[in-house]
Amino acid sequence: TASPQFVGKGSEQKEQEVLALLDLLYSSVDSLNLTTLCVVPEQTCWAINIDVLFVQCGGNIFDAASLGLRAALYSTTLPQVSVSGEGIEMELDISDDPYNVWKLDISNAPICVTLYQIGHSYAVDVTEEEEACSNGYVHVGVLPSGDVSAMLKSGAGNLDPHRLLQMIETGTELGIEMHRQLDKLLQSEERTAIL
Amino acid sequence: AVVSTQSGHYGRGPNEMRKLKCEMGLVQDADGSAIVEQGYTRVLVTIYGPHECKLKSDRNTDKAIISCSYKKASFSTGTRLKQLQSDSRATEISVMIQSTFEAAVLLEKYPKAQIDINVQVLQGDGGERCVAINATTLALIDAGIPMRDYVCACAATIYQDQAILDINYLEESCRGPLFMLAVMPKTEKIVQLQLDNRLHNDHLDRVVRQTIQGCKDIQALLDRKVKENTVEAAAAYDIKPKV
Repeated sequence: TASPQFVGKGSEQKEQEVLALLDLLYSSVDSLNLTTLCVVPEQTCWAINIDVLFVQCGGNIFDAASLGLRAALYSTTLPQVSVSGEGIEMELDISDDPYNVWKLDISNAPICVTLYQIGHSYAVDVTEEEEACSNGYVHVGVLPSGDVSAMLKSGAGNLDPHRLLQMIETGTELGIEMHRQLDKLLQSEERTAIL
Repeated sequence: AVVSTQSGHYGRGPNEMRKLKCEMGLVQDADGSAIVEQGYTRVLVTIYGPHECKLKSDRNTDKAIISCSYKKASFSTGTRLKQLQSDSRATEISVMIQSTFEAAVLLEKYPKAQIDINVQVLQGDGGERCVAINATTLALIDAGIPMRDYVCACAATIYQDQAILDINYLEESCRGPLFMLAVMPKTEKIVQLQLDNRLHNDHLDRVVRQTIQGCKDIQALLDRKVKENTVEAAAAYDIKPKV
């Protein structure tokens, strides 16, 4: 639905790019503690399906997708499962109680800041028009602590190494700030939701 | 059975529709857009057009053509849906929506043009076709595309000789008759009619009447939203329209 240019097969390339990026961001073992998803060791565990739907594409879809993903993981609740019995008689009782839930630990879930090289300078959070003017861009995956968890350079264009380091620094600073703002928003939403 | 009491399903009376919420103009990029939520079923429709026909072969010199696409998001149902390139049920519904609005939209005003209707089911809890039609009506209004009348759709079933309106997914899976009606409320003209499973002839008249009333109730709510929206939009130009 995002736009006529994405009708039919038109969106495949962009889709693959976003997929690859999100995959990369969460490929680290630390980003999501997957061991918490285990219900019965070597037998049953939770699987998480992540679906991203773009309602409108106005540039900077990568950062938006990563922010959306972190926010979605923050609000994900999983029901408590109680295991009774052993072996063949093992029974899993998934709690129906909407309040008997637990949340994922997203303290290490990264968000992406994409910096686009435009001429001799660079820009963040670009619109589609600005993106069209750019030659090459870098995705920087930033953790709330400010550590860089992933990086990916895309697009046709050569980046000057000195500028690249500047871009990464800027990306990290912005990433820390984005984490702060996003968490503040999510927490205040959670409080109003509970009320 | 799920429907166990005379007073109806999930605390609703048999003639009571699910709670309807709607928003218009959420997607600024599109020429028109709307989200309609009935109960837990939520559908987003975006309209692009009228614009030049993409394929010269489709072009009609007398009037515009409508191209419709109906998709269910992978997260819209209980189990994750695989996004198939050729989902026959989805194609069937796209064609149904296309023919519905070919009857309602004043296509003669835009010869050689194309109007794209993109339906995305965000949450499916029964009655997706109906909610899709209602959302498309709102989206077309948002796009400023002239229509003969609102097109409102409602589904009903029969249980214990009672017609029950706007059933949800759980009630649909009881495999009773599923009667869907799309109507232009002012003239009560039926634009679309679909019946799944068997319905006894004795019940037909009653079901049709009650469903048409359901459609009229929906029209009242959609109309209210359109008027609210217009007043808001006009306020930006310092105009106070009389509604």
